Amino acid sequence: MGTEVDLLKHPVVAAAVGTAAIAVGAAEAAYRVAEKVPVFGPLMRRGVVGLSERGNQWVTQSADQFKALVAAVAVGLVDLVLDEMDLNALVRERVDIDALAADLDIDAVINRVDLIALADKVIEGVDLPAIIRESTNSMTAEVMTDVRTQGERADDAVAGIVNRMLGRDRDNR
Amino acid sequence: MTSSEPDVERAAGIITRGLAAIVDLVVVLLIMSALYGGLVLVRLVYSPTAFSLPSLNAVFSTVMTFAIAVLYLTACWTVSGSTAGAVTMGLRVVGRRSPRVSPLVGLLRAICCVLFPIGLLWVVVDRQRRSLQDIVFRTRVIYSKRAR
Repeated sequence: MGTEVDLLKHPVVAAAVGTAAIAVGAAEAAYRVAEKVPVFGPLMRRGVVGLSERGNQWVTQSADQFKALVAAVAVGLVDLVLDEMDLNALVRERVDIDALAADLDIDAVINRVDLIALADKVIEGVDLPAIIRESTNSMTAEVMTDVRTQGERADDAVAGIVNRMLGRDRDNR
Repeated sequence: MTSSEPDVERAAGIITRGLAAIVDLVVVLLIMSALYGGLVLVRLVYSPTAFSLPSLNAVFSTVMTFAIAVLYLTACWTVSGSTAGAVTMGLRVVGRRSPRVSPLVGLLRAICCVLFPIGLLWVVVDRQRRSLQDIVFRTRVIYSKRAR
């Protein structure tokens, strides 16, 4: 920044600018004078107008082409760069995802979701009757097994008491 | 229900068999009440105006209950070896050698069990846990193999 200011204030630069200004002014004056010459003036004006029109046209056309060219090159370049980079690793390295997640307005997201419809969908996917059936089945089976085991034990207890009362050998059955 | 392993085919004792008998009695009574309800409904359908609850004939009711019980026990023993009570307590009636009771033996055993239920008590004192009916008809009541 400082160098630029210094450069602009440099006497040589100032002198060059002054010279250029004088040259432009002289050319302008000469053009005005030439314009006023009877036959040459209109011819020259027409020529200048035509030239400027061609110039404008060329500038617009080539500008469009140039823009397209630059865009194509840029896209190709970015693609190349992206192919070379592991974006995931880059993001992991450079971006504080935890901080981003902490800032997320999850309530807003949830408000946008139709939770009831979502829950309906989930419940549809889960075969609830089958689960209930299974759990009741296993519960019933457990109770039945328990009852049978207890009954068997009670049978053995009674048999043991009777055997003792009758003075039998328990193993001799 | 296929192989007969000695430790699996243990004879059942008085507690399980008694409880099974009680469950079977309840089942028979339920069948009886269902029949009575059906009878009442039929009478209501055929003579709605002159309808009154049918009076219970004691002899008829008793005979019917016995008949139902015999039919129920015979059917269950010959078809699967287990009545509802036996299924509940995990028991099975089998022949001395065959895994099933023949219809005739089943019928006779059922009649004896219904008419002389006290014979079950012999299980307590018998070394092989046989009731009097088991001794007469050469049947056994065993713990059915559990589904593990």
